[in-house]
Amino acid sequence: MGLNEPNTVHTPPTEHRSIEFATFMRAYQDMVFSTAARLTGNDAQAQDIAQEVFVRAYENFEHLRESAAAGGWLKTVATNLSLNHLTRYRRRWRLFSEEPSVPDVPLPDTLLADLSREEQCALVDDAIARLPDHQRVPLVLYHFEDLSYQEIAARLRISIAKVKTDIQRARAALAGLLERRGISSAALVEPLP
Amino acid sequence: MRIGSSESEPSLEAERRLEQLIDRTLADLPLRRAPSTLEARVFDEIERRAALPWWRQGFGCWPQIARAVFLAACAALCAAAILAGAWALGRIGRAGEMLTDSWVRGLLTLEGAARETAGSLARIVPLEWVYEGLILSAVLYACLFGVSAAAYRMLYLKSELAGRS
Repeated sequence: MGLNEPNTVHTPPTEHRSIEFATFMRAYQDMVFSTAARLTGNDAQAQDIAQEVFVRAYENFEHLRESAAAGGWLKTVATNLSLNHLTRYRRRWRLFSEEPSVPDVPLPDTLLADLSREEQCALVDDAIARLPDHQRVPLVLYHFEDLSYQEIAARLRISIAKVKTDIQRARAALAGLLERRGISSAALVEPLP
Repeated sequence: MRIGSSESEPSLEAERRLEQLIDRTLADLPLRRAPSTLEARVFDEIERRAALPWWRQGFGCWPQIARAVFLAACAALCAAAILAGAWALGRIGRAGEMLTDSWVRGLLTLEGAARETAGSLARIVPLEWVYEGLILSAVLYACLFGVSAAAYRMLYLKSELAGRS
C-alpha cells in the first residue's frame, strides 16, 4: 500500500511503537501545527487538525517511518485538512466575511520597534491570524507553501485574478497591521543574532 | 508611498517592493511551537479509536466474515428492492387500468376550479397590489438577511477573532 492510500486499521499502540511514533511526532509537530495554525488563523482549530494529521500518520506509520517524503506527506495532509475545514465551515458565510478594503497605510521603511526578535515574530503570526480568511489563505499558500497563483486558484476554486488581488490586499493589510503595532517588515528581515 | 488606496492604485514597483518585503519577512518566520498537550491528545485519540468495536470502525477493519455477510446482505437487499419495484409497477399498471372514470374526472374538476379561481383573482386584484406585495417581500427578505449578517458578525466573528488572539 502506498502513502496515498488510506490505511484505516486502528492498531493499538504498543510501547515500542509508541516511543518510535512519539519521536517521529516530535520531529514534525511544529511544522504540522504551524501549517494548520497559519492557514486557519485559529490555534484551537489548528490543534484539532494537527491531532487528526498525526492520527492518520499513525495509521500509515509503517510506511512513513522509513519514508524520506514523510515531512511532505504530513504537510500535504495538514494543508488539505485545513482547507477542507475552512471550506466546510466558511463557504456559506463568505459573503458576510468580506471586509472592506485595506485602509490607506504608509509602506514601512526602516522603523524598528523596541521588541525582541521573538516578540516581533509572534506579532507577525498574530497579524497573519487577524487577516480575513479570503486574504490569509492565499497569502499563506503563496508565501509559506510556495504554491503558484494557478495552483492556489485551482485549490481554492477561484479565479487567478481573485487570487492575485487577495494576496496583494493581504500583503498591504499585513504591512498595515504591523505598522500599527510599530513594527516594519524591513525590521523583521534582519537575521537573528 | 501609499498602499491600498482606492484613489491611487499602487504602482508596479511599489507592489514588487511590498511583495519582496513580505516574502522575506515570512520566509524568515520560525515555525510556531506546537502545544505541549498535542502529543498526549494524539495518543489518547489513537487509543480511543483502537478501543472502538469493529462495527464502529471503517469497513476495512471489519472481520472478513462480517464483510462477506454485509456484502451478501446488500446484494440481497438490492435484489429485493428491484423485485419489489417491478411488482409495485405491475400493480400500479393494473390498478390504472381499473381506475374508474370518477377519479379522473374528480381530479380534472379540481384542477379546472383551481385555475378558474387563480384567473378570477388575477382579474380582481390590481397589478399595483401585486408589485407592492413583491416589494414588501423583498424588503422583508433583505431585513432578515441583514439581521442574520449582523448577528453572524457580532456573535460568531467576534468569538473567532477572540480565539485567534
